[in-house]
Amino acid sequence: MTSHLRCDEVTVRFGGVVACNKISLDVEEGKVIGLIGPNGAGKTTLFNVLSRFQDCDDGHVYYRDQQIDAKNTHDMIDLGMARTFQNINLFAEQTTLENILIGAHHLIGNPFSNMLWLPSARRNERELTDRAVEIAEMLNLGDELDNPVKNLPYGHQKRVEMARALAAKPEMILLDEPVAGCNDEETAELKEIVKRINTELGITIFLVEHDMAMVMTVCDYIYVINFGANLAQGTPSEIQSNRDVIKAYLGEDDE
Amino acid sequence: MGCLVFKSGERFKRCWQTILAGAPMADINAAIKAKMVQRKWAAMGVLFLVALIFPIAPGVESWMASEATLIIMYIMAAQGVSILTGYTGLVTVGHGGFLAVGAYASALSTKYLGTDLITGIIVGAAMSAFVGWVLGLVFLRLSGAFMAIGTLGFAFFVGTVVNNVPIFEGREGISLPKNHVIGFEIGDIGFYYTALATLGLTTLFVSLLVRSGVGRAFMALRDSEKAAEASGVNRVFYRTLAFSLSAAVTGVAGVLFAHYVNYVSSEVFADIWYSVDFLVATVVGGSAVLLGPFVGGLFVAFLPTFIELFVDQPGDLAFIIKGGALIFVLIAAPAGVVVGLVQLFRWLRGKLGGDTQ
Repeated sequence: MTSHLRCDEVTVRFGGVVACNKISLDVEEGKVIGLIGPNGAGKTTLFNVLSRFQDCDDGHVYYRDQQIDAKNTHDMIDLGMARTFQNINLFAEQTTLENILIGAHHLIGNPFSNMLWLPSARRNERELTDRAVEIAEMLNLGDELDNPVKNLPYGHQKRVEMARALAAKPEMILLDEPVAGCNDEETAELKEIVKRINTELGITIFLVEHDMAMVMTVCDYIYVINFGANLAQGTPSEIQSNRDVIKAYLGEDDE
Repeated sequence: MGCLVFKSGERFKRCWQTILAGAPMADINAAIKAKMVQRKWAAMGVLFLVALIFPIAPGVESWMASEATLIIMYIMAAQGVSILTGYTGLVTVGHGGFLAVGAYASALSTKYLGTDLITGIIVGAAMSAFVGWVLGLVFLRLSGAFMAIGTLGFAFFVGTVVNNVPIFEGREGISLPKNHVIGFEIGDIGFYYTALATLGLTTLFVSLLVRSGVGRAFMALRDSEKAAEASGVNRVFYRTLAFSLSAAVTGVAGVLFAHYVNYVSSEVFADIWYSVDFLVATVVGGSAVLLGPFVGGLFVAFLPTFIELFVDQPGDLAFIIKGGALIFVLIAAPAGVVVGLVQLFRWLRGKLGGDTQ
């Protein structure tokens, strides 16, 4: 087993509140790994620590055994790690194509030759655009390329987020609640896309999600956290029958 | 450039073919967009052609060429503001400061090193870019109204410096010799053409910039800093770069201004109203469209002269009209006059199209 992303006893405090208390987890390369837990368990905080949107007070984060907990947020893409946002965070006024192209920002090369459209930059820009169109077609967004994303339906916007993450040529994508707020049809479509990204492109996926049906069918391995600490880990079937997990979600039996 | 225009033309043709074949709405949108791009370049071309023959056209007096030079400088300064305010989303009320930086850099280089206008432009642009870079780093954590106040402070700071540091010669000012371009002395008409050529270059630069990956990064920072950083945009670098490029373009306008009046003094360049004028020009015309600074710059620069044609004692009438126009535009067409007119035109066409069916 090769570790792709790993955190060791990560602790985050907000004033007196301990959002994450010595949480450890390990994301295996090429797999789909899920993180679940009841509301307020610290999922989002941990997610932000892993994607370098949040510093941790204690513990370390490793990407392919390279320590990353002091790196800049924008450096994650260069390492090969992209992320999406729970509340869609697109560039609303810009078109689908422009949104996807931003994902490929770290591939634009030298900014000075890029902004003057020197020959090398022109060639590069054409390649990036071709690739962006390809990604859009893979995610069924081919008809919306020139449409400002604010005009797109919710499910489409979720897919634009994924397309933007893919444009960075990542080796790993962190998905923050990819199907939150979607209807059944959109959920099914996104589920399919997540699977395809993993199997066809070989990209490691780490996702936080509330939709249990989605998590149980998509993930190879699941981590459960509760009250900011590790609660359980295992395959979907193990998690489904784990007494601690059932207790955390449904509450203690009175008997 | 030619390649870019050709590319959009190709796309345009393809889009019309798809419409004729009964295409979905997205393709039709793309076709309209491609058509708009063509119209924009056509409008720009006509504008430059008119500007090119204007001073030698019959019936045009020399003061008109002078006035046109002033308008060109306003347009250029507004272009600088639009890079920062329109595309990167940082409101600046201090670009008069960069006008002064460019003007004084060139004036000092002309006085002490005897450089010509072209070298002056390069020196002024470089100096403004440098000061803009430093200011971008200083204001790294400011945004919104705080950025506006910070930049306003910068304009006051520059005014105080040129008033009090001996080398800038305060209110006495520095007189400049007649203008030279590569060894040739140029008069008013020659200066007009130099300014026009420079405006052509800055326009080309801005249009290339905003379509490039760097322009995309600026707009990404404007629309969502979080998502931009998640996509790998280095916030510190690109914000500072936006500041620097924006300052450079306005700085070049400052160089032209200094050589246009052959004189720099704190009385002229410590004036805070330049900063306000440039912002008004950018916002009224449209801060994130290429034609915006042209419309806004023309409006702000020509307004006082225009009023004087009709009113004997104009007083502060120009300020009142500018303020009124700013409020009106912010309410009626927040994206600026250019975008507002395009939207109005489309709406009208939709109405008329609906009637005929």
